[in-house]
Amino acid sequence: MKALAMAALTVGMLAGAPGPKVVTLPGSSPLVTFRIVFLTGAAEDPAAKPGAAALTAAMLARGGTREMSYKQIVDALFPMAAAVADQTDKEMIVFTGTTHVDNLEAYYTLLRSMLLDPGWRKEDFERLRDDAVNFLQVSLAGNNDEELGKEVLYNAIYAGHPYGHDNVGTVSALKAMTIEDLQRFYKDHFTQANLVIGLAGGYPKGFAERVKADFSKLAAGTAKSGVVAEPKAIHGTHVTMVEKNTRSVAYSIGFPLDVRRGDADYPALLVAQSYFGQHRESGGRLFARLREVRGLNYGDYAYIEYFPRGMFGFEPDPNLARHRQIFQIWIRPVEPPTAQFALRAAMFELDKLVRDGLRAEDFERTRLFVGKYVNLLTKTKSAELGYRIDSEFYGIPEYNTYLKQSLARLTVEDVNRAIRRHLRSTDLQVVVVAKDCAALKTKLLANEVSPMKYNSPKPPEVMAEDKIIERWPLDWKADDVRVVPVERVFE
Amino acid sequence: MIRIVCLLVAAAVAALPANAPRKAFPYAYDQHDFANGLRLVTIPTDYPNVVSVFIVVQTGSRNEIEPGKSGFAHLFEHLMFRGTATVPPEKYQATLKAAGAASNAFTTDDFTAYHTTFSKEDLETVLRMEADRFQHLDYTPALFRTETLAVLGEYNKNSANPISKLFEVLRDTAFERHTYKHTTMGFLRDIQDMPNQFDYSRTFFDRYYRPEYVTVIVAGDVTAEATRGLVEKYWGEWKRGSYRVEIPQEPAQAGPRTNHVDWPAPTLAWIGVAFRSPAYTDVDKDQAALDLISFLGFSESSEIYRKLVIEEQKVDLIRADNSDHVDPGLFTVLARVKKDADIDGVRDAIVATADGFKDQLVPAARLEAVKKHLRYSFALGLNNSEAVAQTAARYVELRRTPETVNRLYEVYDSVTPEDIRTVARKYLVTDGRTIVTLTGGKAK
Repeated sequence: MKALAMAALTVGMLAGAPGPKVVTLPGSSPLVTFRIVFLTGAAEDPAAKPGAAALTAAMLARGGTREMSYKQIVDALFPMAAAVADQTDKEMIVFTGTTHVDNLEAYYTLLRSMLLDPGWRKEDFERLRDDAVNFLQVSLAGNNDEELGKEVLYNAIYAGHPYGHDNVGTVSALKAMTIEDLQRFYKDHFTQANLVIGLAGGYPKGFAERVKADFSKLAAGTAKSGVVAEPKAIHGTHVTMVEKNTRSVAYSIGFPLDVRRGDADYPALLVAQSYFGQHRESGGRLFARLREVRGLNYGDYAYIEYFPRGMFGFEPDPNLARHRQIFQIWIRPVEPPTAQFALRAAMFELDKLVRDGLRAEDFERTRLFVGKYVNLLTKTKSAELGYRIDSEFYGIPEYNTYLKQSLARLTVEDVNRAIRRHLRSTDLQVVVVAKDCAALKTKLLANEVSPMKYNSPKPPEVMAEDKIIERWPLDWKADDVRVVPVERVFE
Repeated sequence: MIRIVCLLVAAAVAALPANAPRKAFPYAYDQHDFANGLRLVTIPTDYPNVVSVFIVVQTGSRNEIEPGKSGFAHLFEHLMFRGTATVPPEKYQATLKAAGAASNAFTTDDFTAYHTTFSKEDLETVLRMEADRFQHLDYTPALFRTETLAVLGEYNKNSANPISKLFEVLRDTAFERHTYKHTTMGFLRDIQDMPNQFDYSRTFFDRYYRPEYVTVIVAGDVTAEATRGLVEKYWGEWKRGSYRVEIPQEPAQAGPRTNHVDWPAPTLAWIGVAFRSPAYTDVDKDQAALDLISFLGFSESSEIYRKLVIEEQKVDLIRADNSDHVDPGLFTVLARVKKDADIDGVRDAIVATADGFKDQLVPAARLEAVKKHLRYSFALGLNNSEAVAQTAARYVELRRTPETVNRLYEVYDSVTPEDIRTVARKYLVTDGRTIVTLTGGKAK
């Protein structure tokens, strides 16, 4: 796989002088959108400081500046109905905001001072550190079994790797964090070399140049190598069971994927993923077999790129670009009596995908879908701008064009070859969020028959398939299954 | 065309009270009533290639009047994907897939919306298939029973979040007779009994899935004339119904109420303070004034936010919700409290904030800042065709026309500090108050 850096920007980029990169999408809209991206993130958290990147970003977007308190900033933004939002991922931190052009000057003045002249106040730090700890312990571990399962899966796959902790950090590291840690992170990583300024909408002539000049105040920094290490290989199936008091059982299943946008097999795998489990759409194979036919849960999906907050949104947020991705299956919570059968059904379907691939008619239909659906991903100017910046990261043309051109050349053989090459149904990481994990573990390890009982008659083909699924062997070994109390997950 | 729409958007958000009146909903839309009672609202936008269709059924959990039948409006949201004799679910899905469509649905207290967003060349296909399922939905008892399990699965995935429980208890405590007593999801016991209610499901469909309850909204790269022709072609034969629902009226609340939820797992505490609020109106000032109070009193620019979130840091989230409802609903202030010991203090601060509006006049400049916030917030939300259609849907369910947005924003503009005080005295009263708290258990 080729090493990527932010190579030459070709789209609407300001030519000439060194300094920050600028991606522009000028237009006649009365709205102006900013995406200020720094090519750094949780993967660059210092070893003993997981959470430093995200907390630094929070201090900029949700704290005061040197001259204004946070309260003054909030009050200044309020009449404009504008905000500065921050998103920290492994390799990108993005600050986003949209303002009406009426308020552009006032908004930009605030945004600029927030990002270039932060206040580093103790009271902001304490509030935001509390927010981060509560996000991990309460919002994620306590109140959202599905997102919890997904994040634990990433942490398990990337254990010992720069991606191996939640973006927000760990509870103990956050509690030990200091303002100086954040100032150091800011100084080291919020540099011109890491900066991409994204602008879209009806901003006036000369504005992009002005923003670029203002942000040239940041330290120059040095460009990255663009190399992120491979995660450890997985041998056998490794299971993390998260014990918590909850009604139902949630699963996330995955393994590292050595394919990303721009790689030869990316379009093929995107078609495979869409066929198998298009996010929040009912046409996917997993959804059809687990939910539609069997009523096992609310939905079942598959991913080849990081897609946080999936239960709240239909399209992925841009600016989560990464050098390393995983293949992932998301099984939404199932009733405990059907938990074993549901897991086996998912494994059966994954095995079938890997063995049989797509039929020609499935391929044609899915290719058609992906080629049109891509229009919806960039339906807002903000999303379009985000995709442009991501395309620069991956070194590909504008995403819609890239995908449509790639799909036009794609064959069903390409897709099935890519599936065989990159996907598998063994050597997995599995995360289970459930109550009474010990009992569930015993049951799953015993590999006993788990027949499904329905509340209505099913067609013979389903009943016949159930006979296979109820005995589907899970190759789990007791030593590879660990049970973790939920309180300790982000410790 | 493109240019005109852009100018309209610009004009709309610049419409501050000092300026001449301008429209909050900036799009020139076409509204047409068919003979069978169906209404079509077509909204051409300047966003190219994409079209978004929202089909609004003026039926939500409010319409679930029979005991034991909570959750049926939402169940229908699921059943509508179970096909017809001519278009079975597999064909429906395959066709949507070929259109590259994003399709889904949602249900609220007052309405159910089915939405599909796709490339413009597939408009006829989508309108044809939607017309078919609205008129000829046909599911077997076996499919019905399977789908009820997906609804149970949805309850399960929501159940990890204490907020779902807090709202369930808040509604149940605040209302006695009106169907707002239950959430849209419904009571768990009713969801578990759904598999046995096939016959009732047909009754529900027969009552409410009728043209006089439905408005079709088409926004995006379309023309009004072509869209009207297509809707006439595929929806024109749909037969009008005759059912009229009688929703039990809620008696006036005669005293404050409280309740508490013991959440079985560790979590931060929550507190909800609710007052009875009026039904949606785009004529009277009551609802508009309460909307403004929700921002004046409890938004991130409010005094209570400064005190509890920024300075004392006892609360990490506070907001007020005065969402639009067909019938009188609730003005609710919600806060997440970091330490259980602070719950009473936070409750008192919320109540004192509400009381403050009854005593003192809000500064005029502050009121203007909130009005400005609402205008810009509304305009910034209309940033793609799907958002335009969805925004229209939120108002169409109330008055069957986007025009109500323009009237509502005119009412906002007319609200004075004196109006705020009058409305606070009328609604933010102790006798109409319900307070529910939620605290978590200890870690194992």
